[in-house]
Formats: sequence, C-alpha cells, structure tokens
Amino acid sequence: MSNATLAGSRPRGRDSPPSVETTSRRRRSSWWLLLAPILAFDVVLFLTPLGKLVGASFADSAYQRVLEDPLVMRALLNTLTISLASTVVTVVLGYIIAMVLWRAGNVARVILFAVVLLPFWTGILVKNFAWAVLLQDNGLVNAFLQGIGLTDAPIPLLHNRFAVIVGMVHCLLPYAVFPIFSSLTSIDDRLGLAARSLGAREGSVFRRITLPLSVPGISAAGLLVFIISTGFFITPVVMGGPGDMMIANQIDYYARQLTDFSGAAALAVILTVMVSILVAVYQRVLKAGGQHEDN
Amino acid sequence: MTALRSTPFDRRQLLKAAALTPFAGLALSGCGAKPAESAAANKTVTVTSYGGSYNDQLTQTILDPFSKQSGIQTTLLANTSLAALKAQVQSGDVQWDLVEITAPEYEVAVAEGLLEKFDYDIISDKGLPGYAKAEYGIKYLSFLFVMAWDQKVIPDAQAPKDWAQFFDQGKYSTKRSVYNQLSDSSVLEAALLADGVPFDKIYPLDVDRALRVLGQHPGKDRLLYHAANQEPIQQLTSGEVSLSTSFNNRINAARNDGAKLNFSAENAVLAGDYFVVPKGAKNKEAAFKLMNFMSNDAEAGAAFDKVTNLTLANIPALSKLPKDIADTLPTSPLLADKILVRDDKWWSQNLKKTEQQFKLWQAS
Repeated sequence: MSNATLAGSRPRGRDSPPSVETTSRRRRSSWWLLLAPILAFDVVLFLTPLGKLVGASFADSAYQRVLEDPLVMRALLNTLTISLASTVVTVVLGYIIAMVLWRAGNVARVILFAVVLLPFWTGILVKNFAWAVLLQDNGLVNAFLQGIGLTDAPIPLLHNRFAVIVGMVHCLLPYAVFPIFSSLTSIDDRLGLAARSLGAREGSVFRRITLPLSVPGISAAGLLVFIISTGFFITPVVMGGPGDMMIANQIDYYARQLTDFSGAAALAVILTVMVSILVAVYQRVLKAGGQHEDN
Repeated sequence: MTALRSTPFDRRQLLKAAALTPFAGLALSGCGAKPAESAAANKTVTVTSYGGSYNDQLTQTILDPFSKQSGIQTTLLANTSLAALKAQVQSGDVQWDLVEITAPEYEVAVAEGLLEKFDYDIISDKGLPGYAKAEYGIKYLSFLFVMAWDQKVIPDAQAPKDWAQFFDQGKYSTKRSVYNQLSDSSVLEAALLADGVPFDKIYPLDVDRALRVLGQHPGKDRLLYHAANQEPIQQLTSGEVSLSTSFNNRINAARNDGAKLNFSAENAVLAGDYFVVPKGAKNKEAAFKLMNFMSNDAEAGAAFDKVTNLTLANIPALSKLPKDIADTLPTSPLLADKILVRDDKWWSQNLKKTEQQFKLWQAS
C-alpha cells in the first residue's frame, strides 16, 4: 500500500520539502484512505447485515411463498399508491411553503422556519397520536365541524387512507421544503426583474422562470420524500385501517406474528429492489429533463 | 452516550468480579475448580410478560415476595413475543429466562424446538392443577376474554347480555373495538356464539362463517382493532368506542383505578398463557425456582388471584381466598356452564392459516 511512499518521505524531514512529484503521487495513491473509516463502518453496520438478510431471504423458498400471498400484493400496491399520493401532496404543499419562505421578510422567515422545523424535531409517534386525537370521532376536528353545523354525525377521518396521508405529509414536509427552498434561492432575482420590465405578469414569471428553474429542487424533494414514504411503518398502524397496511407492516407481520423470518427478509429485499429500480428510472428521466433544459 | 455505554460495561465488570470471587476462595482453600459461571448465574431471572397494569400486579404479588424469600433478583420486561424468543434462540443470544406466551404459541414453540424442558425436580407439581403441567412449560394463568362497555354511555342495565347483542348494530350504534391478534383473541368464537352456535359446536371453528357474521353485524366499518391489551381501556375511557373486547383482569384493574367500565363474565371465553424457558436461557434454574414458588406458595398465589381476578395455577392459593373472590375467578365452578373453553389444540394447528385469512378479510 502507501507504506513505501510514507517511508520514503520520512527521512526528508522538515527542512527539505518533498518534491512536487512525490507529493502528488502520494496524494493520488492515498486519498481513498480518507474513506476507510466510513467504508469500515458500512461494511460492519450495513453491508454485513444486508448480506445476511439477502442470504436469509433465499431459505425455504421464501420468495415464492411471499409472492403468492395475496396480502403481500395488496401491501405492495398500497405502498406504491400511498407513497405516490403523499409525495404529490407533500411536494405541492412544500413548494407553497418554500415560496412563502423565499419571499418572506427576515423576521417572518425565522418564524416560518421554526414552524417547519418544530415538527421535524418532534417524534413521529407523538405527531401521529396527536393527529389521531384530533381526527377521531369525538375529536377536535369533528367537534368543530358539527359545531358550525357542517355535519350532523362525525365524519370518519381516522383509520382510513386519508388519515394515513395526513400523518405522512406532516412528517415529510420538511424533507420537501428545504430542497425546494434552496433551489428557489439560487434563482437569479434579475431574471424576474427583467421579465417584469418587459411586461410579464406574475403568473407568467412563475410559469416561465421560477417553476422551470426550481425543477431540480422539486425532483430532489420528490425523490427524497417518495423513498422515505415507502418505509413508513408507524403511521399506517396508528392512523390507518386494516386496508392501509404498507409493506413495512407486512414485514413486521411476517416477522412477529408468523415468525417467518425468511419471508420477512424476502419482503425487505423486494422493497429494496423496488425502490432502487424506481430511483434508477427516476434519475434517468431527471437527466433527460436536465438535458432538455440545457438545449 | 457515555452513560449508556457505561452500564453494560460496569455490569460486565461486576459479573467478572463476582465470577472471580469464588475462584479466589477456591484457590485459597485448594479445592477443585467448579464452573465459575453458575455462581454468578441464577442469582437473577429475567421475566418477560405483557406489560401495563398486569406487570405491576405480577411484580407486587409474585416477583417481589419471591425475591425476598430466595434472594434471586427479578427483572420484569413488557415486550414478550414469540418472534423475539425465536430470534434470541436462533442467534444464540438468549436474554430472557422466563417468557409468557399464549397457548397456541406454546404449541408452535414446542414444535419448533425453541424451549427448555421443565425440571419437575425443582418445580414441585403438588400445587399444579392437571391442565397446567406441560413438558415445556406451565399454563400458569387462566383469563377470560370478555365483552366490556363504557358505563357513561351504556348503563349496566342496558349492557349486552350475549355476543349477539354485543355485535347488534340496531341496539348500539357505537363502534366496537376488538383484539387484532388471533393467538390471544377469541373474536371469531364470539362471532359464532353471536350467530347461535352452541358452546360444544364451536370447534372446529368455521372461520368463513365467523367472518360472514362479523361482516353483517356489526359490519366491517363498525369494527376497530386494538393490538395491545391496554389499548381498549384507553379507547373506552376516551370515548372513542363504548364497546370493546378485553380481558377480565384489565377491566378490573381499570375499575380499581376509577374508570367507569364494566364487563360480563357470562359468554366469556376461557383461555390461558404459558410461562416457558427459552432454549439456552442463562438462568433457567432460577426460572424453575420462580415457577416452583409461583405454583406452590399459597400466600403469593392468593394475593395474585385477589389482585388480578385471574386464576393462577396454584391449588393451595384457592383455599386461602374468600368466597366472593373465588366465585369471580375464571375457573370458578359457578361460571363453568356459562363460558366457552378455548381449544388450544385447534388454534395451534390452525393459527397461522386463520390469521392470514383474518388479515385478508380485514384488508379487503
């Protein structure tokens, strides 16, 4: 390894600096050593367990068993649709919040950031139970709706897909706001000024300048939020009904109730592969979009 | 971080010191070596159960008196599960010594070879009723799966008399919360009882019929599910539902804490839990000593029965109980004709299949 270079450089001492050639060679040959700690960390804490998981997933024809289970198909479908819906809602809401943050004055911006960050620092379980209390039949929301005479009987707001998406969006919002906000702040303000000076209305400035230039932020936010969405576990348990089971719940069910560990491992691998494929496709589409932008 | 780190380190040091102490003594006296571990081990026993009010009662009536008498320290955890037991045994890192699981889970664990054989040389079977003594465990506890209601909404006079009324949509418009996990829940039996099936014809369970009944009365959208034993208490007291399935001891405990809840022992389903020792448990002798105490100590057993309203598999305890308590226990002869006895054998053979079917029905 780099022992030779190190040994070779030592006798030179302090007052005779190494030649440029040696330094650059040393730099080239040992830069990856910087990665060693993180690599070791990854091998021990990520790759080894992942390898074991993949290994375990091939026992007792687990894949066949899992894929023949109608509940698994359902959970996979649920995972995709719920994640997609949460992603769309989160990105739209996140975009609006990011716009306001971008345009707000300094004081308002600090306050708004606090409002976005506070739930970010709150435990997901706390948030979900708070929502469950608000949305239940005799909760605050239903009491309010009945109080103002909008409904007579409580509307079912909890233990359904609507509640799951509400709970997920609340947890996911910060992940969307920050990438979008950073892409908005990198837009040159002079572009908008120029457009307005040429007679463009606000709507057309947004449509033709702000929105296209913030696409990288939107994509990054969408991807991030979607990937996090697919792994949600607590929210469907606390806020969903039995029909809103997602893949993480199915993994838990296989592991804990059926004590079928190889089945659970197979499901985890399926989820990982599915998300990886989606990410790959998404990045390809994104790249194509970026090139189009350049033209 | 350092605080978290230091705990196991200190304990390990302590154990090491404790393990070395007899060596020092032996070296001085010049005796032969005895395994050092057994001196350090079996001074503690880690028990794992279901948590909530029940864990408090278990500590107060059984574990503390046992520690006082034997000098063996007990730790009671609340996160029992067959899956965790299996994971511990398979990975060879067994943390638990005595674990509570349901009767069907017991059969599954035996079939999968996860348990230590019980040593009836250490555990005297004098106090054990016939049904309780098993090769790999003791069915130490009998409880009732009951219907419970919120007295603020449903006064006792209007309370359901049987499962048909419990599920009757016309009689009560409230949602019903039912226990989700079939290893412990008799909701399918309840549905069949509601449909008029007599006690002796319930098994083998007609799962399709039970699900059809639940789909009609009260209907899928009127059913709410709970997954933890303490959850229905919260759902009932918060007014989220006013009818729920639960267990007699949980409702009793809530009542003693002042909750306006009640339950009916008639039409209940009698079921039980086992204590088992995972294969490779570090303190199995201490666990067996605890089982011996639990099955034979009349004072502790009677205290347990009194506080929990559950029957402990401990015959001497029953004679210590006042009649009004003895009559309300799940195994009281007064209840014998009015309750269904859960068929553990059927459930152990059909648990996984039925659970899948139930889940699919819920989801569709």
